[in-house]
Amino acid sequence: MEFLNYFDNVFTVYHIALLVGGTFAGIILGALPGLSPTMSVALLIPFTFHMKPESGLILLGAMYTATVAGGAISAILVNVPGAPANIATALDGHKMAQNGKAKNALHYCFISSFVGGIFGVFILIFFTPPLAALSLKFMSTEMFWVAILGITIIATLDSKSVIKGLLSGLFGLMLATIGEHPTNAVERFVFTDHLESGVHIVVGLIGLFAMPQVWNLLENFYAKKNRVFSATGDATLIQSFKLVFSKLKALSIGSIIGSIIGIIPGAGGQIAGIVAYDQSKKVSSNRENYGKGEPEAIIAAESANNSMVGPSLIPLLTLSIPGSPTAAVLLGGLLIHGIFPGHDIFTKNPEVIWTFIDSLIIAQILMLIIGLFLSRHSKWIMKVPDNYMAVGILLLAVFGTYSIQNNYSDVLIMFTLGTLMYFGSKAGFSPVPVVLGLILGTMTEEKFLLGNLIGNAKGSSFQHFTSGTINIVLISLCIASIVYGVYSSRKSKKIKA
Amino acid sequence: MNSQIKISTVIVTLVSAILVYSSFILGDSENYLFPRLISATIAILTIMLWFEKGEADKSTNFKDLMPGIAIASAFILLLKILGFYLASMIVFFTLVMYYTKPTESKDFWRVLLIKLGVAFVFTFALYGLFTLLLKVHTPEGLF
Repeated sequence: MEFLNYFDNVFTVYHIALLVGGTFAGIILGALPGLSPTMSVALLIPFTFHMKPESGLILLGAMYTATVAGGAISAILVNVPGAPANIATALDGHKMAQNGKAKNALHYCFISSFVGGIFGVFILIFFTPPLAALSLKFMSTEMFWVAILGITIIATLDSKSVIKGLLSGLFGLMLATIGEHPTNAVERFVFTDHLESGVHIVVGLIGLFAMPQVWNLLENFYAKKNRVFSATGDATLIQSFKLVFSKLKALSIGSIIGSIIGIIPGAGGQIAGIVAYDQSKKVSSNRENYGKGEPEAIIAAESANNSMVGPSLIPLLTLSIPGSPTAAVLLGGLLIHGIFPGHDIFTKNPEVIWTFIDSLIIAQILMLIIGLFLSRHSKWIMKVPDNYMAVGILLLAVFGTYSIQNNYSDVLIMFTLGTLMYFGSKAGFSPVPVVLGLILGTMTEEKFLLGNLIGNAKGSSFQHFTSGTINIVLISLCIASIVYGVYSSRKSKKIKA
Repeated sequence: MNSQIKISTVIVTLVSAILVYSSFILGDSENYLFPRLISATIAILTIMLWFEKGEADKSTNFKDLMPGIAIASAFILLLKILGFYLASMIVFFTLVMYYTKPTESKDFWRVLLIKLGVAFVFTFALYGLFTLLLKVHTPEGLF
């Protein structure tokens, strides 16, 4: 119950203000169609530079929690999920809006998000310390394979093509090698002065997530827009609470499935929402109403995608493997604040980590209150024109990038990287594995070089990397994730055909 | 393989070739050990990409996209000359004026004044937040 000791740190005026601000902004950004939680957290990271680590993480955590929930607003009112995690919500949520019950749907969404979110944070609280202790057994070669496993899982789950996903991850690793060699400071791949300091993690994050969004908004600016429904309906808050808690089966399925999927590295809210929707449909007595505006469907999907938030941080805090794409960005946030995930995270930085985890509980409560309040005015939030949104993101991206090191070269790198990624994404490449490769690149190379050194001293580097139970398990998991990726992509192609 | 997939595969192959060349030919074996491992794997995957039956790539609406990229590129280049805030106001106004929906008001001067006003207020809000409140440096420019 160590987490109870750090609540005092959360209840300061400054931290509560950060939580309220982060949650408020997160719900609005999440509600804007196309602005993903990942991009929102990436854009926010530079603003946390000048904060203390716990303050910065509190703000990032509040934003992560709120954007996932806020994405349901546009899913319900416009039928455009604000984030991939809200795809399943749109199926029945928008139908309820068409039937004049958008307000009811929004109530169910925020209440079930809150229940799922709290459940997920408690899973995070109780499962992280034992897993962190387990990571003590991970030495250089094991950590090398852990990094490769993280990239492999994200690459195979986040891309339609396994080859393109793996290539994306490897391009990220190559980006991380630009600049000085990690141990002897020799410059590598510095073809121009602008690359002298390499590619900073946050520069990569902003470029790869924010710039493609700018181009996407401008490219589709003249495309026809969907109709925005008003938040009308007959539900009072008490009725909505009663209804959500009367659907315990859907609520439990969503919360449990979301938590399990959150722990699986790389899976994320999109999978959590869809799997929970599917499973609750299978056991529901109202299954014939699914797809026609069934509250149980919204409850299962939303409790799942928010219960995923806490557990997605478990592999991140213990092994540096993010449980979701946004957690990958959060890893960048941890590293720039000098917090290195691993076995000693709770002994070296207990105050920072426990304060951060405690703040996630408060963020869930604020998400419920602010979400219910904002959902009344959500129609106006979604009226922000795409051209204003695009230029706003562009200016924040440029400012955020420059402010990291006051370096104009970073702006050029961010702009170029983001534009290339946009065209790359058209060809099936995903930014998430690239970012993870970039974030984990330096650590992976350091562990590789150390393992290689020890292996050579022992007689065989290859044997050193491929022997030992943990190494063998990790290599098998890498292979299994690739095989699964190939299988599922073939299966989805067959279904489409 | 359709022509769009072919083009993207050729580009990936070129990038892979450059990475392999710079890791194995330009770099020494000691400092480039890790990049060599990665670039060799990239090369193998690129070869496999040629044999993959890929789905058609998403088409790009260059007509609507390119003006935006051109305006944003000009903004990036002008940052060092005009400074962040002046360049921001200009790019804000230019982008929202260029990307105007046919459904917007036909009164050109009214639209122009509103968008100019929004650009000014937005830039001023950024100045208040970044420079006055957060005291963060922005590109200063020559003026």
